[in-house]
Amino acid sequence: MRRRFMSAVAAACVAAAVSFPALADQARTTPARNAGVSRQAAGGRPAAGSMPRTPWGDPDLQGVWNDATSTPLARPGGVSDKQVLTDEEAEEFQRNLAHNLTRDRRDGGPEVDVNRAYNEHWMDARRLAITSDHRTSLIVDPPDGRIPPLVPLSPERQRARAARADAAARFAAGLPDNPEEMSLPVRCIIRTDSPPYLPTIYNNDFQIFQSPGYVAIAPEMIHSARIIPLDGRPHIGPTLHQWLGDSRGRWDGNTLVVETANFRTDEGVIFQDADPATYRITERFTRVDARTIRYEFTVEDPHTWTRPWTAMIPWTRIDPGEQMYEYACHEDNYDIVHLLQGARIRERKGETVPKRNRER
Amino acid sequence: MRRRFRRALIPAGSAAAVALLWLVASARAGQAPSTGRFPAYKAPRLAGHADLNGVWQALVTANWNIQDHEAQPGPHPEIMGAYGGEPPGQSVVEGGEIPYQPWALAKRKENFEKRMMVDVTDDKRWHDLGDPELKCYMPGVPRAAYMPFPFQIVQGSGDYILIAYEFTSTTRVIRMNGKADAPADSWMGWSRGRWDGDTLVVDVTDSREQTWFDRAGDFHSDALHVVERYTPVSPYHMMYEATIEDPKVFTRPWKISFPLYRRMEQNVQLLEFKCVPFTEELLFGRLRKQPRQASR
Amino acid sequence: MHTRLSFTAAVLGALLAPAAAPLLAHHAFNAEFDANRPVKFRGTVTRMDWVNPHAWIHISVKKPDGTTEEWMIEAGTPNTLFRRGLTKQSLQPGMEVLVDGYQSKDGSLRANGRDLTLPSGETLFLGASGTGAPYDAPPKKKG
Repeated sequence: MRRRFMSAVAAACVAAAVSFPALADQARTTPARNAGVSRQAAGGRPAAGSMPRTPWGDPDLQGVWNDATSTPLARPGGVSDKQVLTDEEAEEFQRNLAHNLTRDRRDGGPEVDVNRAYNEHWMDARRLAITSDHRTSLIVDPPDGRIPPLVPLSPERQRARAARADAAARFAAGLPDNPEEMSLPVRCIIRTDSPPYLPTIYNNDFQIFQSPGYVAIAPEMIHSARIIPLDGRPHIGPTLHQWLGDSRGRWDGNTLVVETANFRTDEGVIFQDADPATYRITERFTRVDARTIRYEFTVEDPHTWTRPWTAMIPWTRIDPGEQMYEYACHEDNYDIVHLLQGARIRERKGETVPKRNRER
Repeated sequence: MRRRFRRALIPAGSAAAVALLWLVASARAGQAPSTGRFPAYKAPRLAGHADLNGVWQALVTANWNIQDHEAQPGPHPEIMGAYGGEPPGQSVVEGGEIPYQPWALAKRKENFEKRMMVDVTDDKRWHDLGDPELKCYMPGVPRAAYMPFPFQIVQGSGDYILIAYEFTSTTRVIRMNGKADAPADSWMGWSRGRWDGDTLVVDVTDSREQTWFDRAGDFHSDALHVVERYTPVSPYHMMYEATIEDPKVFTRPWKISFPLYRRMEQNVQLLEFKCVPFTEELLFGRLRKQPRQASR
Repeated sequence: MHTRLSFTAAVLGALLAPAAAPLLAHHAFNAEFDANRPVKFRGTVTRMDWVNPHAWIHISVKKPDGTTEEWMIEAGTPNTLFRRGLTKQSLQPGMEVLVDGYQSKDGSLRANGRDLTLPSGETLFLGASGTGAPYDAPPKKKG
C-alpha cells in the first residue's frame, strides 16, 4: 500500500518538471479561484455559438496539442486539502521548480550525479508550469485529489506484482535477464500512446485529425494513431486484444466521448495494472477556447479501486509555431543491447542485484 | 409447314439480333473498363478538395520484389514449406527495370543475400545487415504504400493529412501548407503535400537511408527524393504513382505505379500489427541470461 | 501530529529524491553508467545521430600517446531540441567539444554525458552557470 502511494507520489512528481522561461509564452486563462474543483476548471465552457466547427459540422479539435504540466496526478501526501493554490503559492511553486531543475546540481556525489544526465534543454518547455487553474492535482474526483484506495488484490495478482517488482529491481541494477521483462516503454512497444494520456517529461505532443465520421489522435510517442469511428459501430470482437485497445467515439454536445475496450492483458498495458476483465476507461475531449482542449478521463475497476476516479489535464495548442515530429524508437533502440550485453558482462564479473533494490 | 416456320425464323432471328445488340449496348454502360483504363471520374469533395478518406490497400506483390519475380521457396523451406513460399508478380516499375548505377547492383545482391541476417552487437553496424521489414522497422516511402496490409487516410479541413499504416502502427503526416524543413532524417520521410486537380501530390524528402524498397534488397541513399501521386479513379480505386530519384544510386529518375483498392467490408478498420515483440528474440535473443526454448 | 508540508515542498521533495521512479520508466542511468569511471576529455565530433529514443554524439578523442579513441555520448530525445530550434546543422562534424561524464559499466567507449560544452560555450547537459537557466542562486523568498 505504501509502495503504491510512493509510486503515486513519484508518478505525480514526474509530471512536475522544470522548463525554460517559456512561462511568459503560456496563454493564461482565468483560474477558477473559488472553492470546489469543477469540470469547468480550465477556463469554462465556450460561449454559445463560438465553437469552431469542421465543414461537416463536428466541433473542431484539429491541430497539434501539448499536455505538459508540473501539476502532479495525485495531491501529494501531507499537503493540506487545498484543491487550488493561490496565485502567490503557484508562483512560488513554479519559481522553486524552475530553480531546482535548471540549476547546476553537484550535490550527492558521483552515484547521484551519474543519474542526472540531461538538463532542461532536453525536456518539454511547458513542464515548468502548473495548470492555469492552479489545481494541486490532476485528479478532480474524488475531491481529495488522490487515487482511491485499492481493494484487496487476489493472490494471483499479488504474485504477478511481486514478480514484476523483482524484474524492476533487476532492471534498476542494470542486470535485466531478457528483453521481455523490461518495461513496455524501454522495449519501444508503447509509451504515451496508450490511454489514458498522462503528461511526462518530454514529447508531450498529440496531433488531432478529423474527417467525416472519424477523429484520429496521434501521440508523438510512439508514432501511432487511434483512429476513432463515430458511427456507433460495435467494438471489435472480444477475442481481439490490442496494446492501445479499441476505441469508439461519439459527440455529447461539444464533447468527444471515447470508450476504449479490447486491451491486451500483458502487464503494463492496462493503466495502473487494473484487471483487464473489469477495467473501464472513458475519455472526454472538449475544446474550451482557441488554444485549449480540456482532456478528462474516468477509470473504474471494482477489482482494483474502491470507486471510479477522474483526472483532467488541459491541452495547449502549439502549432503552427511548433510541430510534432516522428518518434521512431525500436529502430535505434541501442539501449536494449547495452543493458542486456552489459548485464551479461557484469554477471561474468560477479555482479548481482543489490538486495536493497528488492525491498522497494 | 416448314416454309412457314422458316419464314418465321427470319424475323425472329432479326428480333433476337436486335435484342442481343440492345443487351450488349446496355451492358457496356456497366461494364468493367479494360485493364488500367477508367472512365472519367470526379471524386466527391471535402473542404474544397477530392475526398480521399478511407481504408486502402494495394494488391500487387511489390513488397517481395518491385520488379518481375517468379514464385520462390522463400527462407528455410525445410521448416516453412509452402508457408514461406513467395508469390510471383509483375514489375510495378514503369519500363520494367530499376536504372541502377553499375556499382549498385552488387550492393542490391548483397542486401538480398543478407536480408535475414541481423547483428546488433555493435551500435555502429546496427543497420548494416538485414531487411528493415524483418526487424519491424518503419517501412518508409514508397514501400509502405504497397505492403500487403491496409492503410487509412484521414483527411479533414486542417493543414495536415494523416496516413496510418497497419504495419507496425506506422503513421505519417502530410503537411499541406508547411514551409518548414525537416530538422533531421526520419523513417517515413518529410512529406509536403499539394493538390493538382483531384490528385494529391506528396513530395517526400529527408528519408532515413536505411529503408528498402522491398525484400529483394532494392535500396537507396540519403539523397532519396520521392514524389507520390494519389489520384481517385472510381469510388473504389485510387491510382498510386511514385517517381523516385536518387543521383547516388540510380542513373535517372524512375517511376512505379499500381492501383490502390478501397477496403469495402462493413465496419472495416485497421487492426494493430505491432510486430516489435516478434523481433526481440531474433535481435536480442543471444543476450538473454538463459536461452529460450525454440517454438514453432 | 505530522507536519503539513507546503505543496512546493511536497512535490519537489518527492521529485528530487533519488528514488523517484519516472512514469516512463526511463532507464536508470546508474544502471548502465559507472559513477566510479568518470571521464573528461576534449574531442572532435565525427557524427551526430539525431535518433530516438536517445541521440548519440560520436566523438574522436586524441589520447596523450597520439592514438585516437572513438567515443559515443548518450543524449536525450532530439525532438525536444527540434522544437527549440536546433536542427541537424546545429552539431556538425568537426566541432570541438568538451565532455564530462561517466563511462559505461561494461567498459565500452560509451559515456553518459554529464556536461557537454560546445564551442559557443553553451552546454547541453547540467552544466556550469551560464546555461541560460533562469536562476543560478536560490530564488528570493517573498515577505
